[in-house]
Amino acid sequence: MIIKDVVCPFCGCLCDDLDVEVDGQKIIKVQNGCTLAEATLTGNNRLPAPIRRTANGWEEISYDDAIRETADILCAADRPLLYGWSSTHGEAQSIGVHIAELIGAVIDNTSVVCHGPSILAIQEVGHPGCTLGQVKNRADVIVYWGCNPTEAHPRHMSRYTTFATGFFVPEAQKDRTVIVVDTRRTESAEIADEFIRIERGGDYEVLSALRAIVRGKGSILPREIAGVAREQLFRVAEICMKAKFGAIFFGLGLTMSNGKYKNVRNAIELTDELNRHTKFTISPLRGHGNVYGSNEVFTWITGYPYAVDFARGIAFYNPGETTAVDILRWGECDAALIVASDPGAHFPHAAAAHLAKIPTILIDPHRTATTPLCRLQIPCTMAGIDAEGTAYRMDGVPIRYKKLIESLYPDDADLLRRIHDRIREVQGA
Amino acid sequence: MRVILETKERKKPFLPIEAETIIPSNFLKGPELTVYEGNKERLLSDLFTIVVEGTAVSPDKVEVVLKGDTARIKRVGEYMATGTIRIQGDIGMHCGNFMSGGVIEIGGNADAWLGREMLGGSIICHGNAGHYCASGYRGEKHGMRGGRVEVMGNAGDFCSEYLTGGEVHIHGNCGDMAGVEMKGGQLIIEGDATRPCGNMKDGMCMIFGTVHRILPTFEKIDTKKLPDRNVTVTVYKGDVANRGKGTLMIQKPHNEGDQHPANTLPGPATT
Ligand code: SF4
Repeated sequence: MIIKDVVCPFCGCLCDDLDVEVDGQKIIKVQNGCTLAEATLTGNNRLPAPIRRTANGWEEISYDDAIRETADILCAADRPLLYGWSSTHGEAQSIGVHIAELIGAVIDNTSVVCHGPSILAIQEVGHPGCTLGQVKNRADVIVYWGCNPTEAHPRHMSRYTTFATGFFVPEAQKDRTVIVVDTRRTESAEIADEFIRIERGGDYEVLSALRAIVRGKGSILPREIAGVAREQLFRVAEICMKAKFGAIFFGLGLTMSNGKYKNVRNAIELTDELNRHTKFTISPLRGHGNVYGSNEVFTWITGYPYAVDFARGIAFYNPGETTAVDILRWGECDAALIVASDPGAHFPHAAAAHLAKIPTILIDPHRTATTPLCRLQIPCTMAGIDAEGTAYRMDGVPIRYKKLIESLYPDDADLLRRIHDRIREVQGA
Repeated sequence: MRVILETKERKKPFLPIEAETIIPSNFLKGPELTVYEGNKERLLSDLFTIVVEGTAVSPDKVEVVLKGDTARIKRVGEYMATGTIRIQGDIGMHCGNFMSGGVIEIGGNADAWLGREMLGGSIICHGNAGHYCASGYRGEKHGMRGGRVEVMGNAGDFCSEYLTGGEVHIHGNCGDMAGVEMKGGQLIIEGDATRPCGNMKDGMCMIFGTVHRILPTFEKIDTKKLPDRNVTVTVYKGDVANRGKGTLMIQKPHNEGDQHPANTLPGPATT
């Protein structure tokens, strides 16, 4: 059977035009997707049953035992951490927030290792953004800053920017000018009309210089700024100011280099300046499929998009203090529940090492780099493959994941609901 | 009146304690206050040995002394308006949050957000201060608005972010982006600094150590002799990427070739 218009759950593009051929409980062919989509949808590294670590290795346990043990560990903790949430659907994320409130936990999502700084910058100066549809149909100047979509979001350029035909840009690449800014010549830079190579850590300086040029104060600039010739920046500023519609996309090169959210803020303020001359927008290239959704769901319920601390019964938010990486590296938390993410692969060593010291439970369909750090792992369905649910694309558009195959695994939302109910039972007692 | 709080041994010493109740005025009514240890509310006496010496009729006559393992105690002195707090060792985050008067003296190091959005009074830290010393809360448009913060050691990244009023004096070095988004007040750094005063709108920053990677959007306008120090400084106006009405005075501008690669910067704020 061929299922049409399938949503790929891997990256923040959430491409919704895939054709997937299914044979019984197996996906056998993926069309229109990139290689990342194919690996995600056809991959087979599922954990067959819940497992518990013992002195002699792993033992299989029942779902009932795993749920009971998880609830008991979380109830007993003085500083529990619930982390992850970006590769599952909004339905599971919302139950996670309710559990956090119930047990006075810190709940955080993978924004802490990707676009958390973008959120901080947006909270300072706002977000002049737009949907990807607007970019596809209107943008004649595209800037990719500190990101490499060719490899990380392989269909971004073909669906929305460089190679996409749009209503006001019918000739695609011929009608669009692409500028890539990075510290090294990436695959994406090879496609660019203009490549700005910045010395490592120099993004803030270059953004400030561009702002000064757009404000008409470029004469005070030195000849070279963070390895970039002043003349190139004047040229790029002119391209941007003459654009009919410009769109900046930025990635971890901006959010995770020195200056962090101040880099993003500077980029947003450059966008504001450009809007005095033309129409310009800026958007983060979000990584995990539904990381944007985790920010949305957390915000509806708590008022904050990530790093929410319920220790005192009310939501408190202060990235740098209530963020998972920080709480772990200081050794603060005494139990952790990880859902739909892989901190073992993404966190700094000190933070990941602390997960191995405390009772850590992982709810994830696959064996991952986090599995060896855990005391307990509970397998579940994978959103967008054997579970449906709501996800948010990188531009904030909600998209419904389809269920492509039936499986015997429980949905993570159901698992979390059972953990939630068990916690209430324990607390009531 | 002197209230001496000495930490007791804890089963989980890494749990943070949130103790905004530790301000001088609260002890006039007695020492039975509560604090949070992780997600549990505790009596102050569960976590501290409490000794009260003498009496006081007004909070300005109350001195609170903190001893022992105090590095994980957060929010000490929050909203304090008068009196004195002396911390013998290190102190946790948010010490002196929103304080409007009185004195806090820290014998050791202070963690991040020391004197956050402070309005008045003074804080002296004899050790180092963490990131965001004398700055604002996330998304807040104003940092410290009044009072004085003096750090005898170094300060971390984003020191005096959004500084709007008052004086911050760092005797050692500052990390990345001291004085970023400054709107007023005075920041004095005796040691080195990297990329100071980005997006500065107003106020004055003086740096007497070496400045690495001065931002390209600061305009050199003058040199000036400071008679009280007997030194000559270069005066810059900036940040012209913004309104550019701030003043940055630097005794030792960076060398032309000094690109100060990112990997030699002080350990960055993690988030
Ligand atoms: S670009 Fe992203 S969402 Fe689209 S098919 Fe590839 S991995 Fe999936």
